[in-house]
Amino acid sequence: MRAYILKRFGESLVTVFIVIFAVFMLMRFMPVEGYFTREDFTEMTAEARQVYLQSIGISGNPFGQFGRFLSGLAVGDWGRSITVYPKTPIASIIAEKAGYSLAFGLSAIGISIVFGLALGIAMAQNKDRLVDSLGTLYVVVVRAIPSLIYLFLIQIWVSGILGWPMVFYADVPVSWILPTVSMALPGIAWYAIWLRRFMVDEENKDYIKFAISKGLPRKKVMTGHVLRNAAVPLVQYLPTQILLTIAGSLIIESMYSIPGLGGLLVYAIRQQDNPLVQALVLLFSVLGIFGVFLGDILMVLIDPRIKLEGTSRTGDHV
Amino acid sequence: MRKMLLIVIAATMALPLFAMGNQDGGSRTVDRYDNTYQVEVKTLNYFLLLDTTAQRVAANTQDHLVEQDRFGRFIPSLAESWTPNADSTVWTFKLRKGQKWVDHTGTPTTYEITADDFVEGFRYVSDPANGIRNISSVRNVIKGLYDYYYTLVDIDGGKIQDKTREAALATFGTVGVKALDAYTVEYTLTQPTPFFLSYLIMDLFYPVEKAFLDAVGPANLGIAKENMLYSGGYYLSDWQRDKLIVMTRNEHNWDKDNITVRSINMQKVSDPTVELQMFMRGELSSALLSAEQAKALEGSPFQDKVYMTDLTSVTFWWHPNYQSPNPEFNAFIRNENFRKALYYGIDHEKFLSLDDQVNPKGLIRSTIIPEDQCFDEKGRDFTDYPGVKEFKDRGNPYNPAKAREYLAKAIAELTDGKGSIRGVTAGPVDMKPIADFSVDGKLPIQMVYVHTTSSKSTTEALLFQAMMKDTFGDDTINVVLGQFVDNAYREAILPLKYDMMWSSFRFAYADPMAQFGRLVTDGGFLNMAVDSSKKTNTLFDKTLYDLVQAAAAETVLSRRYAAFAKVEKHIQDKAYIMPYRAGGGSYTISRMVPYTVPRGGFGVTRFKYKGMIVESQPLTAARVAELRTAFFEEFNKLTAK
Repeated sequence: MRAYILKRFGESLVTVFIVIFAVFMLMRFMPVEGYFTREDFTEMTAEARQVYLQSIGISGNPFGQFGRFLSGLAVGDWGRSITVYPKTPIASIIAEKAGYSLAFGLSAIGISIVFGLALGIAMAQNKDRLVDSLGTLYVVVVRAIPSLIYLFLIQIWVSGILGWPMVFYADVPVSWILPTVSMALPGIAWYAIWLRRFMVDEENKDYIKFAISKGLPRKKVMTGHVLRNAAVPLVQYLPTQILLTIAGSLIIESMYSIPGLGGLLVYAIRQQDNPLVQALVLLFSVLGIFGVFLGDILMVLIDPRIKLEGTSRTGDHV
Repeated sequence: MRKMLLIVIAATMALPLFAMGNQDGGSRTVDRYDNTYQVEVKTLNYFLLLDTTAQRVAANTQDHLVEQDRFGRFIPSLAESWTPNADSTVWTFKLRKGQKWVDHTGTPTTYEITADDFVEGFRYVSDPANGIRNISSVRNVIKGLYDYYYTLVDIDGGKIQDKTREAALATFGTVGVKALDAYTVEYTLTQPTPFFLSYLIMDLFYPVEKAFLDAVGPANLGIAKENMLYSGGYYLSDWQRDKLIVMTRNEHNWDKDNITVRSINMQKVSDPTVELQMFMRGELSSALLSAEQAKALEGSPFQDKVYMTDLTSVTFWWHPNYQSPNPEFNAFIRNENFRKALYYGIDHEKFLSLDDQVNPKGLIRSTIIPEDQCFDEKGRDFTDYPGVKEFKDRGNPYNPAKAREYLAKAIAELTDGKGSIRGVTAGPVDMKPIADFSVDGKLPIQMVYVHTTSSKSTTEALLFQAMMKDTFGDDTINVVLGQFVDNAYREAILPLKYDMMWSSFRFAYADPMAQFGRLVTDGGFLNMAVDSSKKTNTLFDKTLYDLVQAAAAETVLSRRYAAFAKVEKHIQDKAYIMPYRAGGGSYTISRMVPYTVPRGGFGVTRFKYKGMIVESQPLTAARVAELRTAFFEEFNKLTAK
């Protein structure tokens, strides 16, 4: 296990390095005109433009720029934004915004897990009955209708009926509810439909049929065997999902005016804010890679049949 | 379609709310103004105003030496008086005494606002290291600035090696901004500039307290509310990035009695539909509406409350590319008859009906220089000068018969009579990724109209295409539509990948040179200097260039305007660019009483909230019309019309 962790850690570092190097260099292919407004560009002399580019760290050898970026990171300096929030330290931008995205994201995941698993279990246990049909209807509606439609209806209609604010206010607790629920809706559907599927699969396996025929209580079979085994594939993605909540939700944050990180990476790319893009890519790639890594570990902890060292699994299966 | 559906759903669901909201017919004055912004402010450094949100904040949290009243007249602000010398080359301003900078809690600091603060402010903007990009607006206005600034640029760029940066900075005394004593600041200009006051309301002329600037560091000015001091009628009491900006009345401001609204709350709301809903629920004081939203409100109790905002000093014009990579268009656009064919062939009224279905004519502006902005020493408006007035009164120039006549002349001049365009050979045109097409060197002329991918822009493009077809038929002009994603300048104008598009400039200061300089002499596209890599040494039109130079040298306003009127006439006669629309003129719904705030077409004036009256109920369009009539009666009396 330890050797595996060390190996994966090393691989992760290399992956992160490749990702940020590639993004760093790709950003240098962008035309320099993008760092100016139209009027600036026409009115500045070539020298003045060059001085401006120097002042924002764009001109010069890209490898040298990359080296400076890495040495800054080594001492905890993420640099400053150049076009999105000019001169503002990136660390403070992320610190201001990540809290909102995390708070909403984690709450939404919590709701998704609780309601999604409950719905999934109810659907699996009542397969082909009314509960299952209603659950399926919910899943189909959430996944088939363009999300903007029902999210918009929730924002306008539900807030109107309940008399709640249409946008988020940090000091009005009730204004947190609609965006959180809106964010959780697809997650509930995802957990419900996959848990149902895995549980139905498990229920049809011989060992379950055998256990029931031997007289084990159905409830015990469902919780101790079916649910546990069905949960394994879902658990693997949980750490990544949790860690990447920091990236925020592009649509919901925009609709409810939540000042999170949602959409910031896309906006930074469009604005050619190289340092901000680099910092966000670094952050998201580290979290993504670390999340997959944690998912693997979690699977091992939940499912003793899985070994990570790559040794023979003979005899591990039930 | 989906957008329209959302608007209709929203409007339908909001109807009961309107009814509830309008039961109380009486309106009262409130001391809070709630509005929105769509894109987060990049920085609140008030010397670097990159968007209208930052302009709104700066205009209200900082004062200049002078400001404009609700008729646009210059009145004292932090300066209580001023005197130009005989030829308007030296301007001396006397400051109010005892005015203190306040911090983000509204508490007065120990720092008094003095003449030094205006000198330090200008020192800050004059250093290229601070990245204040608007400096080009005044580089030729303030004496000594050009040399000081570009010496620093050359040192930073490595062109000058025998002088240190520190040595160059020490020569700031050569720049024409001086504190004669604690309360007297003097500006020395390169040439007589009777309209100098209009420069002073730009971001470049704000004061800064040097001790405070040194304490926070120049790079940190404006990145947090704590990193600024405030000299204006409001201070920044809250700023949550991407969420909220709150300005609160500065009780220590010299003009606090005229700061009528106690609190200005600006929320970031990205969706116009949500903005309208918030307005309907009473959460906002005003909302701008799209034409679709205004239409969706028809039949609702709010129908009679939708009105159009006044026109601004921004002018939109048709902007042909004189260096197009499309050889067919390139051959024709240099022909005066072809340009006139376009001028008479575009139905501006129809085009503007996309913005205002009721009165599109009201949006038309057919002069390059806006009306009501430049007045000579006798109060005569520049647009009433001979040569300009004929265009001002022209309105929609659309005349299909005349357009076809001019096109026939152009075709006769430029083709061999059998449809082949002289000097143009068949081949592909390099306009990727905007457009991908080939020309055959024969009629119809391929003309690329570029637009963004937004639905409104696409509708405009399709309309333009249809209008060309209606006017000229299929066999003479074929409009190819090209799209850019995000940035017209970067994606289309700079790489010259367009034939026709609309464009505009903001009007920077109260003089025709503000536009003509940028179009003709200072690297403007009518001098073929759009892109330095493709710059030619050949003047586009030497007569035009000389006319602008001659007009710029005139220092008596009436003579200057008469000379600039020749410039405007020359450009319009030749149809080099074709003005068609004034800025503003947007549908709105508001609880703010119009004509109570400062008025001005340049600088930050139009963003000021001083004197604003906000009511608890939305104003009706009829009441706004009455207010408008009363205001312009008074305004016209003042401008001696």
